[in-house]
Amino acid sequence: MKEIITENEVSRRSVLKGAAAGAAALTVGGVGASTLGASAASAATYNVSFGSNNTNGPGPEQDAAWTAAAKAEGINVALNAVDHNNFQNNINSYLQGTPDNVFDWFSGYRMQFFAEKGLLTPIDDLWKKIGSNYTAGFTGASTGLDGKKYLVPTDWYPWAIHYRKSVWKKAGVNPASIKTIADLINACKVFKSKGLVPIAQADKGGWEAQGVFDIINMRTNGFKFHMDLTAGRASWTDPRVQKVFANWKSLLPYMSAHPLDLGDQDAGKLVIQKKAAMIIMGSFTSGLYSKADYPDLALIPFPIIAPANGTDSIDAPIDGVLASTSAASNMAGSEALMEFIGSTKFSGIIQAISPGLFANKNSSVPSDPFIQSQVKLVNSTKHVAQFFDRDSRPDFAGPIFGPAIQKFLTGGDPKAIASNLKAQWDALPPA
Amino acid sequence: MSSVLEESQELAVPAKKKKRKGSHNFSGSDRVTLGAFVGLPTILHVLFVWVPAVCTILLSFTFWDGIGGLKNIKWVGFTNYRQIFQLDDNLPIAIRNNILWLAVFALIATPLGILLAYYIDKNLKGTQLYQTSFYLPLVISLAVTGIIWDNVFRTDGVLNALFGDTNPDTAISWLGDPHKNIWVVLFIASWRHIGYIMLLYLAGMKSVDPSLREASAIDGATEWYTFRRVIMPSLRPVNVIIVVVTIIESLRAFDLVFIINRGTNGLQTLGVLVYQNIQGESTRIGWGSAYATLLFLICLGPIMVYLYQNFSKGND
Repeated sequence: MKEIITENEVSRRSVLKGAAAGAAALTVGGVGASTLGASAASAATYNVSFGSNNTNGPGPEQDAAWTAAAKAEGINVALNAVDHNNFQNNINSYLQGTPDNVFDWFSGYRMQFFAEKGLLTPIDDLWKKIGSNYTAGFTGASTGLDGKKYLVPTDWYPWAIHYRKSVWKKAGVNPASIKTIADLINACKVFKSKGLVPIAQADKGGWEAQGVFDIINMRTNGFKFHMDLTAGRASWTDPRVQKVFANWKSLLPYMSAHPLDLGDQDAGKLVIQKKAAMIIMGSFTSGLYSKADYPDLALIPFPIIAPANGTDSIDAPIDGVLASTSAASNMAGSEALMEFIGSTKFSGIIQAISPGLFANKNSSVPSDPFIQSQVKLVNSTKHVAQFFDRDSRPDFAGPIFGPAIQKFLTGGDPKAIASNLKAQWDALPPA
Repeated sequence: MSSVLEESQELAVPAKKKKRKGSHNFSGSDRVTLGAFVGLPTILHVLFVWVPAVCTILLSFTFWDGIGGLKNIKWVGFTNYRQIFQLDDNLPIAIRNNILWLAVFALIATPLGILLAYYIDKNLKGTQLYQTSFYLPLVISLAVTGIIWDNVFRTDGVLNALFGDTNPDTAISWLGDPHKNIWVVLFIASWRHIGYIMLLYLAGMKSVDPSLREASAIDGATEWYTFRRVIMPSLRPVNVIIVVVTIIESLRAFDLVFIINRGTNGLQTLGVLVYQNIQGESTRIGWGSAYATLLFLICLGPIMVYLYQNFSKGND
């Protein structure tokens, strides 16, 4: 397990940077004609089932649009959309039951785990065709531990502090002035005095605040320690873990008082409604914004805590599609669908509904400032992590770490929490 | 009352004897019929109840991630049990919640349901309306129940609006505060349970011979005395059902807490822990099975004691 994670650190980092740079270059030179439609010339018609977890925000609209486009290319998609959280919770039985041919999933430990268990169908043949669309980093992130390709990466997004420009302007806080955590706390004090919740914090689902843990840990102790901790190479009783909780505690007075009442969308809406000044969240929160509010959305990196680490790391998870075991009996159709989903045609359709960043280096990067700021953020970052629950074991992140963070947010003692986390990690069955 | 009982026993005894006598002289087709009627349910019962139950108990002594065949199952003895008792913070909360649930159902909700049934049985004005409205919560699906009450109790919900504060930071956190939310959930659960018990009891009371009540009134018994000494005893079969339903409903509590916050943060129950470990993204079958076995034992205890006491009394 050790080597795997280390290898991925390198690949992931280069991936995103490469992708962003490549895409930016393309935008400058004018987007090249997409050549991927070539395969569509074939007259064959395919019937493929697809499991979608894209049910939040603009998800259903996007699914409807791209399945219609796929149909026009001769791929009839039987769409099976399941609520995002339920999809995730049922993934084990889903993959062992009668899974759809192709389904939405993530890069990282969670993909490699299922590949190891033989629950995925490798797609090396397809990658020979589409490989040139991806930088080395994305290619690495799509590869299992056995060296075979499993993922067609689609989109990715960074985690950062998201806010409404107009709210900050009205409160007289200059986003560019937030360099250190002390600056952030000072800004929070201003927002609080204006009657706003400075930082909207959600953790009803048990995963939302994991992103806050990630970023405070990476800022406090650096990227390497964070990856060591998520993979179990560092101990939860390490005093550095306590530093994370201590730093988090200094922000708690400025975060939502009842985070366990709020889901990620509830908290995101507080920012839209101008009740909260900011949220530490993935850029997918932009999906909640109306066309009118969207131009007001902006982001800044989480500020410096330890000067040695600067702002050199972030979470930026990669999403994509995988082929299940059922794809093996429908390989031609499954590959055609996955090729389509990896194409610039697909990214174009999605972007027309809700802008985002795509893995295919020929995808256009929307020129709107919010997307550009995401690209800039990743380009200025040395290390990219996936997210706590994608970097760590699922039987640890979900049922053990999630509740531990909820306990911390409701006044639990960080020392007791950390020693329980260590004991629980040590008690996990060998992976 | 006692005469009624004696009579029924007198009737029962000869019936039993007859059966025993006849047991040797079944014809071939009788045997086939009997075999089908007794054998088929037995096979189905063993296959779908006892085999999974025993498998669950066996799995609770193993490590298994639920993927792949039996060869991936590793025997680990009592490790899972030691771990859930020593390490899992959720377990004490879950046990506390299940006990609270049982206590609230047994001491408040069930008696209230019986009380309602008693009054509705008296054919007050508008009985139909009361009956329907108390029973309504059971007609609504649990998912909808969850959504309705979520809209009432969320920080920016109906209740806080009545209190005049829906600010997410200062309003009362009914569902997010781990010290409060279990009481809110018990309220919602009781809301459903009362109607359920009322209906069961009402059905039973309709079958009580009105002359018994009249006789007791003529003899000068008070309402309470009549209820306790005349109606309750003649409803013994219904009482058994109500006790069993109350125990089972409170011990298997799952759906409501799962809809509210997936059974975390103060709303853990044993049922949730089973689900989380077996069905969640992290299949830890050993732990989940250990919780299930624990729940099985807890359920079995009180129900067996109660059934044994009741039926042994009835067969004397």
